[in-house]
Amino acid sequence: MKSTNIIDFIDNITFKYKTYILIFIITGGMLSIIILSQISTYAIKNDYERLFEKRTKPLILLESLKDVYEINVLDTIYDIKNNNISFENGKEVLELAKNLSNNYWNQYKQNRNSEFENNFFLQIIKKLFIEKNYEYKNEVLLESLMTNIDKKMEHINNYINYFDLNSYNEVKYETNSIKIYITSLINYDLKVTIDEKRDTNRLFNYIFLFSILSIVFVFIFSILLSIIIINNFKKLHKLLELKVERKTKELMELNDNLEKRIEIEVKNSRKKDLIMFQQAKLASMGEMLNNIAHQWRQPLGSISMIIQSFQTKMEFGKLTPEFVDTKVKDALLLADNMSTTLDDFKNFFTPDNIKSKFSLKNCIEHSFELSKYVLEKYNIHHTIEMKKDIVIDGFYNGLSHVLLNLINNSKDALMDKDCCLVKEIRIVVIQARKKVILHFMDNGGGISDKILPKIFEPYYTTKYKSAGTGIGLYMSKQIIEKHMNGSIKCKNIKNPRPNCDNCKSTLFILEIPFQ
Amino acid sequence: MIVKDLNILKNFNVLYIEDDVQLLTHTKDVLEDFVNNIFAVETTKEALNILSNKKIDVIISDILLQDDNGIDFLNYLKKEKDIQIPTILTTAHTDTKYLLDAIKLKVENYIVKPINIKELLNSLHDVLLPFTQQKEIQKNINIIKMIGAVTDSKQVDVIKYLINNLNNDNLINTSYSEIMSEISISKPTLIKLFKELSEKNILVKTAHKTYKFDENALDNI
Repeated sequence: MKSTNIIDFIDNITFKYKTYILIFIITGGMLSIIILSQISTYAIKNDYERLFEKRTKPLILLESLKDVYEINVLDTIYDIKNNNISFENGKEVLELAKNLSNNYWNQYKQNRNSEFENNFFLQIIKKLFIEKNYEYKNEVLLESLMTNIDKKMEHINNYINYFDLNSYNEVKYETNSIKIYITSLINYDLKVTIDEKRDTNRLFNYIFLFSILSIVFVFIFSILLSIIIINNFKKLHKLLELKVERKTKELMELNDNLEKRIEIEVKNSRKKDLIMFQQAKLASMGEMLNNIAHQWRQPLGSISMIIQSFQTKMEFGKLTPEFVDTKVKDALLLADNMSTTLDDFKNFFTPDNIKSKFSLKNCIEHSFELSKYVLEKYNIHHTIEMKKDIVIDGFYNGLSHVLLNLINNSKDALMDKDCCLVKEIRIVVIQARKKVILHFMDNGGGISDKILPKIFEPYYTTKYKSAGTGIGLYMSKQIIEKHMNGSIKCKNIKNPRPNCDNCKSTLFILEIPFQ
Repeated sequence: MIVKDLNILKNFNVLYIEDDVQLLTHTKDVLEDFVNNIFAVETTKEALNILSNKKIDVIISDILLQDDNGIDFLNYLKKEKDIQIPTILTTAHTDTKYLLDAIKLKVENYIVKPINIKELLNSLHDVLLPFTQQKEIQKNINIIKMIGAVTDSKQVDVIKYLINNLNNDNLINTSYSEIMSEISISKPTLIKLFKELSEKNILVKTAHKTYKFDENALDNI
């Protein structure tokens, strides 16, 4: 349970921290392994040094001591007894042996007293890992052995100092006993050494165990964390895959929808176009009505005046047949003109969805005829320059509509200009190989660069208080591009006429194919 | 509506400016029966020419003319040329802009097309009436002066005094002695005059020193 909890807990840690933990554990484990191995090697080295310094050297000393007693003392005594050497020589040898033995023994004691300094660090470790239990260490035994050896040495030294042949047996006996004591001391020392060796072994075992444990721990944790991280990667991967799948699905759906939407939008825009067409028609109808109204006003005034003249002439008794004849003739002429005007406009509003061949010149002139009144009112002149008439196969009314829009815009631009300059609209028609290029110019001051890119957009109008619908030029573009496969562009140019240097001109370029 | 005496137009010359030839001729044909002379022109240039050669009493002008504007032309006449001739404007525009300009110009009238001839004649009459009246007054003054020259001028003076001192109710407070202090006339002559006037019910004594003048009695003489 707990382990799963820990795993769950680890699982829930953010990816960043998981990697941190992994790095921490690996480095920690490595460090502990390194430290432990260093400690173990140090401990072993220390052990060897100690064995040599503290144990081996004294053992050698004790062995030498034994040898001194064995060879120098016992053998010399023996030689003296058998008269192999002179007594004097033997005495000298024994003297020497005494000095030697004293020397060795003192050295040994010194060694004993100067306890080999245990390394502080090592001691701490030993304290941590093991409790010292010396099976063989026995201070009492050691003490008794030492005192015994001391005593015996004193005895032997005494015997040697006052050596004579009588004391031969005593010396022999004492020497043998001292040898036994020394052997015991050697044994004791060896056992203590074995003890210490065992300690070291234990320490080493502990350290080895710990390093093994830490290795295992690091290994297990690293593997665990690696698995978790890998799982994390897998999860992430899966999540990403899911996301990608979802997005792809969405995109697919969007694509499917897009086609439908495009269809719907196209339909809508067609509807809108129709509505716009309707609006444009209405707008130009309004313009036309205005024109009709203006063109009718004058003859109406005249006719009403003629009718009234009959009345007044009657009152004065001057109503002669001749007068009536002339007046009626005039009135009929006027009415005829009015009827013609009406027909012109009526033709303009009959939709012509059938292509027909028509004279371009007629179409242009007719358009100017329709807007004659407005142009006259604002005193705007117009010139049409074309070398020869061109026959176009297309929509007469459409083109006329476009021209009327352009004329109307020019009129709006020119009407407010002061009368000192010649207000004019110029049309220049050039015949190219497969198309007609129609330049439509007016010196109404041009179109500001801010507005210029937007003029063909629907519902974009600059006319004050929305006197315009913003459809005229848009519709014109539609008519020229969609219906007649042509193009319409607009730019500002300098006035080409010499009489006006600083009034800019607007130039519309219409390109219309013959077919 | 008071029937206007359009005969007064007979004495006046009209300048008519209109750029629509048809309307110009037809209107001219109607108007020439009513006025002394009508000069019908299409442009302001011709109009200026006429103005410098002929005596013109009233101008009828359209506002929108070929290459020009009637209001601008009238402005030019009044400000530059200092020609003060009463004017009637005609226009197809019921535009307030023009109306305001016309008011500022102090034109006499403003007629919307199509022109109603009666309206035009009436407005001509209204424009020209003060001039006619001016002439009438002048005539009457001359008549009185001439009568005074050939008859007893003292009696004429007394009648002048009486008419001039009438109050709003056509009453006059006066006495012989008052009149005699003003005008050197003999008392018998004065009494005789008063008697004649009261016999014809022209001047009736209503109270002490108060006489009433009856205007209607003059027609019954």
